[in-house]
Amino acid sequence: MPELSNDVTSQAIEINGVTVEDTFAEAFGMSATGLIITADTIKWARICATVVTGFGTSVIGCGAECGIDYELAPNETPDGRPGVRVLMFGFSPDALEPQLKNRVGQCVLTSPGSACYNGLESDQRLPLSAGVRFFGDGNQTAKKLGKRRYWRVPVMDGEFICEDTTGLTTDAVGGGNMLILGRDRAGLLHTAEEAVEAIAKVRDVITPFPGGIVRSGSKVGAKYKGMFASTNDAFAPTLRGISDSELSDDTIAVLEIVIDGVTSEAVSNAMRAGLKTITNIGAKHGVTRISAGNYGGKLGQHHYHLKELVS
Amino acid sequence: MSALTLKLRGASDQRLDLSAVTPAKLASMSQSEIENIPVGSGRRAMKLGDLVAVSGTPGDAVVIEGGTSKLDGIGTGLDGGTVIVEGDVGAYAGRLMKSGRLEIRGNAGHFLGSCLKGGLIIANGAGDMAGAPRAGERFGMSGGTIVVKGNVGARAGDRMRRGTIIAKGKFGPSAASRIMGGTLWTEQGFGDGPGPLMRRGTLIGPSVDRLLPTFNDAGIHDLNILRILSRYMAETLGDLAPPALPGKVRRISGDLATIGKGEILLTA
Repeated sequence: MPELSNDVTSQAIEINGVTVEDTFAEAFGMSATGLIITADTIKWARICATVVTGFGTSVIGCGAECGIDYELAPNETPDGRPGVRVLMFGFSPDALEPQLKNRVGQCVLTSPGSACYNGLESDQRLPLSAGVRFFGDGNQTAKKLGKRRYWRVPVMDGEFICEDTTGLTTDAVGGGNMLILGRDRAGLLHTAEEAVEAIAKVRDVITPFPGGIVRSGSKVGAKYKGMFASTNDAFAPTLRGISDSELSDDTIAVLEIVIDGVTSEAVSNAMRAGLKTITNIGAKHGVTRISAGNYGGKLGQHHYHLKELVS
Repeated sequence: MSALTLKLRGASDQRLDLSAVTPAKLASMSQSEIENIPVGSGRRAMKLGDLVAVSGTPGDAVVIEGGTSKLDGIGTGLDGGTVIVEGDVGAYAGRLMKSGRLEIRGNAGHFLGSCLKGGLIIANGAGDMAGAPRAGERFGMSGGTIVVKGNVGARAGDRMRRGTIIAKGKFGPSAASRIMGGTLWTEQGFGDGPGPLMRRGTLIGPSVDRLLPTFNDAGIHDLNILRILSRYMAETLGDLAPPALPGKVRRISGDLATIGKGEILLTA
């Protein structure tokens, strides 16, 4: 999670009673890959997709940031069954590869009726079946159709199908974000949920935190040895008066939405959708301000200016 | 699409080698150079101009009007473009083809699509050893698709590694001999003893005239790969694709005279 050092200036604008600060979200270049998971029913495709993207909130502690992008109708999947597209983001291709191997091996192979296919069209490839096909213990076979190779691994409910490789991009973006500040915690959560729903309709992005929302914005380091990050006291309302708070007197809660995207354009689109939803709802549920996390623009290659996105 | 048309002047008394007749090879040649391509394989020297009347513009297609079973090697090494034959062809049509489309609107002889690497071959019927390697060659087909609208002769797909042969009719005896992968798919069934010494690969059809004793029944299964295969064929072949496979098939494993990782999938 980004360290928050916002510079609130008089250039802020107000929409429906919500102040949009003149600041920007600072995001970083990442590597990303995608999977299409199918199953006999959409229920089991969702279960499998939920499990394979579990424990995937932050690269710092989870190794990868993962989430469900969208659902696919049977006529959109390679095997004509309902499916779910999931995305995974990592620091580098080398960091993503073991995540992919472990998650597919432990969460997709094991899920009844599941199959796993390439979910990102790209010339750059990551091995998808590299570990899991050997579960077949020599009984696995492959079928190459056109340029795509499908591994067939015998399992207890028939065969697990896993495509040989999946696409990789090193032009992905991680850490697009927006901060929602206000005077009513429940109302803030409701508004953030609506924003996450709007973002979910944008293709090629995920919001990797629980329900798409983060409540524990962090700063780098801590007073304790071995802690890489700790609570961002400037944005913790209960520490107002003790720390150098960046919160106004009427702010009692802050929620953050973090966005990872396959492209910078997708992150822009997602931020625009989220901001539009929040400003359309306005102040009626207690939202007072929208801000964003950045490092002064010195660390991340991608900057998303809130005012440009809401205009 | 610009096309060069080669109209057959009449019957030939000797076998003819048309392996040089592909769009890419003819594209940079003048009409006189095209007419001087040697095509004879007998004692009497013969040039293409003796056999056909050349018209049209060299481009990405060659149309041969009026084929006979003496025309060998048509579409050899085809790598892009289209070759259409309005009639029968002889042996080795589409041998070593890499990409493009070879459409034979008649019957093909033996070794149709020998060692095919890619692309699509369509014929009304095919002789023996479709897709097979020549004597001494190690592998047969390594990719591509052959669609035969009628029956296919003996030992189709011999030594195949990848690729697909589809027969709207029936495969002859010993289909898929010694295959190491790939798919043979028939709408009418397999003849006697399919899959001798097959290591891997898939044979799909409604029936087998006689199974080899080295194949074992593995029971009835709902295989996801069949949905992928059906969808892929429908997307790439359109109207030429066989009907989508049923959800459940009987799987026969073999050939247990080798490693036994191949399968015959009976759809009826």
